Amino acid sequence: MTELTLQALYSGLLVGGAYAMIALGLALVFGTMRLINLAHGELVLLAAYIAFEMERGYGLNALAAIPVAIVIVGATALLTYLAISRIRHERELNSLILTFGLAIVLTNLILMRWSADIRSTSNGWFQEGVVLGGTLFSMRSELLFFLIGLALIGAVHLWLAKTWNGRALRAVASNRAAATLMGVNPARVEAFSFVIAGLLASVAGVAVYTASVVYPALGHNLTVKAFVITVLAGLGSVPGVLIGAVMLGVAEALTATFLKPSLQELAAMVIFLGVLFLKPSGLFGRSNTVRR
Amino acid sequence: MNARAVGVAAALLVVYVGVPLAFGGAPYVMSLVIASLTIAGIAVAWSLLGNLGGLVSFGHAAFFGVGAYTSALLTMGAGWPVLLGLLAGGLGASLASLLTMPALRLRGPYFALAMLAYAHIFKILTVEAEPVTGGAGGLLSIPGFPTILGLPLASKTGAYALILTIVIASCLAYAGLRRSRIGLALRAMHDSELATRIVGVPSTRLKAAMLAVSAFITGVVGAFNAHQIGFLEPDYAFSGNWTLLPIAAAIFGGYRTVWGPPLGAVAIYLLDQLVFKEFVPSGHGLIYGVLLGGMILLSPGGLLPLLRRWSPFRKASPGATVAHAGR
Amino acid sequence: MLAVEDVSVSFGGIRALRGVSFTVTAGETLGLVGPNGAGKTTLFNVISGVQAPSGGRIVFDGRPLAREPDWRRARRGIGRTFQIPQPMHELTVRENLIVAQSFGAGRRDPARIDAILALLGLSPKADRDASTSLSLTEQKALEVAKALATEPRLLLLDEVLGGLETTTKRAFAGTLAEVRERYGLTLIVIEHDIETITNLCPRALVLDFGELIADGPPREVFRDPAVMRSYTGEAAA
Repeated sequence: MTELTLQALYSGLLVGGAYAMIALGLALVFGTMRLINLAHGELVLLAAYIAFEMERGYGLNALAAIPVAIVIVGATALLTYLAISRIRHERELNSLILTFGLAIVLTNLILMRWSADIRSTSNGWFQEGVVLGGTLFSMRSELLFFLIGLALIGAVHLWLAKTWNGRALRAVASNRAAATLMGVNPARVEAFSFVIAGLLASVAGVAVYTASVVYPALGHNLTVKAFVITVLAGLGSVPGVLIGAVMLGVAEALTATFLKPSLQELAAMVIFLGVLFLKPSGLFGRSNTVRR
Repeated sequence: MNARAVGVAAALLVVYVGVPLAFGGAPYVMSLVIASLTIAGIAVAWSLLGNLGGLVSFGHAAFFGVGAYTSALLTMGAGWPVLLGLLAGGLGASLASLLTMPALRLRGPYFALAMLAYAHIFKILTVEAEPVTGGAGGLLSIPGFPTILGLPLASKTGAYALILTIVIASCLAYAGLRRSRIGLALRAMHDSELATRIVGVPSTRLKAAMLAVSAFITGVVGAFNAHQIGFLEPDYAFSGNWTLLPIAAAIFGGYRTVWGPPLGAVAIYLLDQLVFKEFVPSGHGLIYGVLLGGMILLSPGGLLPLLRRWSPFRKASPGATVAHAGR
Repeated sequence: MLAVEDVSVSFGGIRALRGVSFTVTAGETLGLVGPNGAGKTTLFNVISGVQAPSGGRIVFDGRPLAREPDWRRARRGIGRTFQIPQPMHELTVRENLIVAQSFGAGRRDPARIDAILALLGLSPKADRDASTSLSLTEQKALEVAKALATEPRLLLLDEVLGGLETTTKRAFAGTLAEVRERYGLTLIVIEHDIETITNLCPRALVLDFGELIADGPPREVFRDPAVMRSYTGEAAA
């Protein structure tokens, strides 16, 4: 019984790392601009399909897709920012609808280009099993991207804390007007946060491709997970995103192991509503933007 | 007989008589029209909630599915007459909306996302309640519409007349609410809830009531769809399309107006199915996303106010026209 | 009619009200004075239900109001105006009163609305937009009109005369007295203007730092050394 639990915890942890990579991009944009980009999951998906294209179309290792994805997805993210910055009234709500529309466009474009077939990596190396401590099983790619994810999250955290640009982003996130007075160009910072989100999404997308399967509707699922984690973590905390992501991953794994796999999503939704109703500022957030 | 009454009579004649005469012989087109009106009904419900309740929801598929299943189960399991089932579907959805009430405390975008979460939850619960709902396999052989006064509602023309009536009734109810004192209070609430509460307006209850009304309309439409199609399954009944298409339609048609959303729904759905689908068989759903994004950027008030602004018949003050488009 | 029993309000380390107690009988007009920040508006918030007290209770018509929400209290007969006018912006002046009457009084009486509008000098602007076309005096008048439309028995007026210049103030104060007579109201009036309080209110309460420090006829209260100290911050000469 405990072996089962340990395996569930381990799997949940690893998948949490990947979720954290996916959610962090959304959380950064949320923190800087106070809005949820509903097309974020599609950015991740796009990177995943780029990895597929690299592998099947050009015979390259999926990892080689990362730089390509960064360029393409980064550009898409920047375009998203430009569209959002044109909204004059009720930015939070209108950007939600706008990115909702954008997500539909991206999903359909992906559908047009790559059809609805389920894709996954054909490179066996990624999917080979790795056993830790004799009992804990995972795919090589899961472990690899967990570590990459941790490294990326750590890097972003340090970047936010130590560099001028990072601090500028935090300044804009906490008080846009005051940040302007300190010589920060908020528009540039906001655009930057989108680009970083794109970067994170690119790596996350390749991770998803190598460790799992991709299909056009996945984008929406990923977006949902990302905003559940973002709200769970609360505003302004990068470690919070990691912890929230791991919590979600573990909750899903435990639900799948001890209840039914089909209830995994229910677990995520219940967690989401629970946070919104009971602790709207999130587990680690500093301010409350959720309640009236 | 003033001009307005003549106009209304003419419009009714066109939709109730003209359309079936013109397209009655093309069952495929009639099916599309019926489907577009189904979307239209949800679009009316969605914009009612948005305009009167001040709440944007991304989860109306929840009410659609609950309405569909409620009616299907009551007519199949308990032998209820189908038309009564439609009402029951609406009530079922309203009851479901009571469960979503805690979300009323949330600000705009979070309310929208919470409703999305509810839609997912209801779908999963429907799948899990297999003994009752037939689980993922769904329900088959859902009873069709009866024949009323000699008109077989199960026929394409009959079903068309039924959904048309439902949509028109919903629009009239919406318009009526807007003009009433409740409508006044709701309008005032958008600006300052405190100002209304201090004179005795139970603001939260009114919002909950709007949510229940919106859910009711959506539930009736969902029930209609179940009996018209004849079968149901969770992925279909709770599909995100029942949320997406009405929102796109409402924003395209002008969500601040009463008649804009249903007209927008018919227009955009027919355009999609008859035109775009021909050119882009896979991925033509793109159009809804483009519409949503485009409308938000160009004219958040939708197409109708945009048209009014450009129309040669606009009133003296353009500001008044745009501002009054939604009142 | 109203009993305020040992009401305290604390938030964030600030004690806005400390154990305030007093009663008001039907038909009385009570002035409520005190330096800025003394807790006067907070007291109104507690009575009208906008804010819950941390301690103590409000009893209205012999009935503790415990957790009744603000809108229910408005229907019970507690009317209230805000220091900064809060009109219902998207509506006309008349519509403001229609909403107040429909929901606060629970009935429709267009004649009464016309009467209120006339009494407060708002008739000419009745069908104009409430947010853009009113002068300051008219906005303040609308605040009172809205409250009147709910058919209150107790009316809490929060600095209704604030910001108006002297002649307007006197005229408005006269209108308030008329309103009081016409509708048989019990009033609690927050004002800074000593002349108004003395003329309008036979009884005055003084709050200082959340505490009730004086209660009596205005002339006596204003000569109370403790009251003078609270205003000037030094011992009276």
